[in-house]
Amino acid sequence: MSMIDYDARPVTPQVVLVGDRASSVGYSIRDFLSRNGVPYQWVDVDDAARVAELLPAGEREPDQLPVCVLPNGVRLAPATLEGVATGLGMVSAPSLSEYDLTIVGAGPAGLAAAVYAASEGLRALTIEAVAPGGQAGTTSMIENYLGFPQGISGSELATRATAQARRFGAEILLARRLAHITSDGPGYAAHLSDGTAVQSRAMLVASGVDWRRLEVPGIDELLGSGVYYGAGPSEAITCSGCRVAIVGGGNSAGQAAIRFSRYAAHVTLLVRGRSLEASMSQYLITQVQELRNVEVRTNTEVVGLESDAHLRALEISSGGTVSRLLADALFLCIGGAPRTQGAAAVGMALDGAGYVRTGAELSSSAGSLDRWPLSRQPLPLETNLPGLFAAGDVRSGSIKRCAAAIGEGSMVVALVHQRLAELGGE
Amino acid sequence: MGAGPSKAAEAEFSRAASKGQIRAVADSLERHGISCTVVDSGEEARGAVRSILPEGAEVYNNTSRTLEVTGVAEDIERSGQYQPLRPRLYQMDREMQAREMRQLSASPDWVAGSVHALTEDGSLIIASASGSQLGPIASGAGHVVLIVGAQKIVSDFDTGLRRIYEYCFPLEDRRARQAYGVSSGVNTVLVINSTIAPGRTTVILVNEPLGF
Repeated sequence: MSMIDYDARPVTPQVVLVGDRASSVGYSIRDFLSRNGVPYQWVDVDDAARVAELLPAGEREPDQLPVCVLPNGVRLAPATLEGVATGLGMVSAPSLSEYDLTIVGAGPAGLAAAVYAASEGLRALTIEAVAPGGQAGTTSMIENYLGFPQGISGSELATRATAQARRFGAEILLARRLAHITSDGPGYAAHLSDGTAVQSRAMLVASGVDWRRLEVPGIDELLGSGVYYGAGPSEAITCSGCRVAIVGGGNSAGQAAIRFSRYAAHVTLLVRGRSLEASMSQYLITQVQELRNVEVRTNTEVVGLESDAHLRALEISSGGTVSRLLADALFLCIGGAPRTQGAAAVGMALDGAGYVRTGAELSSSAGSLDRWPLSRQPLPLETNLPGLFAAGDVRSGSIKRCAAAIGEGSMVVALVHQRLAELGGE
Repeated sequence: MGAGPSKAAEAEFSRAASKGQIRAVADSLERHGISCTVVDSGEEARGAVRSILPEGAEVYNNTSRTLEVTGVAEDIERSGQYQPLRPRLYQMDREMQAREMRQLSASPDWVAGSVHALTEDGSLIIASASGSQLGPIASGAGHVVLIVGAQKIVSDFDTGLRRIYEYCFPLEDRRARQAYGVSSGVNTVLVINSTIAPGRTTVILVNEPLGF
């Protein structure tokens, strides 16, 4: 028994990652571990003494980085996200040959569907490419989610929801990306990135949105090297004393500004619009305005980047005037692009922006129901393909709020029951 | 500090109690409402903990040399059988999630740990520098599992306190300086004489020295 518990650090060996801070692969592994709640130590390759303790000489070469030392002592060099996930035992196979419901995405909508489906006795499987929680999972503090008067962090909400879903018997497969969907009799098959195929009688696409790309020359070369999409918790502490810029005017950008203000020397929030009021919740605007080291610049866009191997400064344009803003890190929290890559090929009807059309919206969009085979109309969250549903941010017309996504994820299970009854056997 | 315990303290407090003493202590604990299982080795203690903790349980494992050497810490943090709180807390943002961290660590469904002394009449004595381990054991946790090596059995309460000051503290202080770069302290002490919630607390008494 120890007399002291200073920091609740795990007492068993942790994952150790050795690499160059500017490595985008290293960033993706850090992000994966962080978002899945796996403790790890990051060792910069320039820390010669520590590196010598950890690695034999042959594994310190640039082409061997990043190196991941697993808790059991196994070294992966160079490490990949998939290799790390497999090495940690986080990649499992589906336990059944067929499910009632396959859920694509473990964000708020997907997790809510998993909880309600499993709690109502459906055989449910959720596929998640990165980590439970989706975009909401990276949110530092959701203060207006019902029932949490002091707020709850996105990661904690996701952790609780995941535990809840598993307690009811839902399966969640991590580190698997959906490759494509095919029709499979009256149901569907989800084909995953590792070749696994999962059959189910109904399917829910709750794959959410990706951050919208910023079109600035040279930005892709700096991803993970000072430029990041979203504002993942893994990077906040490493920005201690840095100059941070955040692009975006929505709640995600506001929450990122609050999070980084705790660590960074200075935070600049770059907003294309004329004010924050149109896009950010008032409670966040108030908090951002009260932070001394956060500056909000409206009517401003990033038009260029200065870098060596790492981001050094931004060129920003405001009212036709271009100026230079020193920045060690740039976080892009702008809008969203629907994540339908793996799902769209099966023939789902999409709106002009690529979001999935459902329910009554299908009837009002020409041609969407041309191949609809049933006498009934699509159910409220059903796509133009019977038994294939969509919920959350990926759905056309959805309210981009965590609570709204959870509501849709809960609601869709009742509709899945209707579909399964239609197929018989329920 | 950091020199470790004196030779006299080492001799007095590192020796395992006899099987007869262990049996008597086990009876005392049971009389006070604390379940007690006696096992012969750390490996058996590990098996006993596995049989007690329900699959999927939310568990906080206190920092404990006893839990480390028996493999119980590894089971809790890495087996995938439970929801371990320690890795979850470690990942949290100390600035933004301080309140969540405090709540989680204060009231786990299960807490696993050890004690610094166990008297022959069945009193458990635990010291802490921060006090963070004591609240869950006293009342915050739903269930408590304590693994106790046979060298921790002492004749009475005063000897138990002496064991803490003269033996445990010097060893813990040395460990804390090495692990955290700060000294430890006997700042808070919990004494459990009895419990009014039978079945909440289980002591696994091991017939060999474990931890300190």
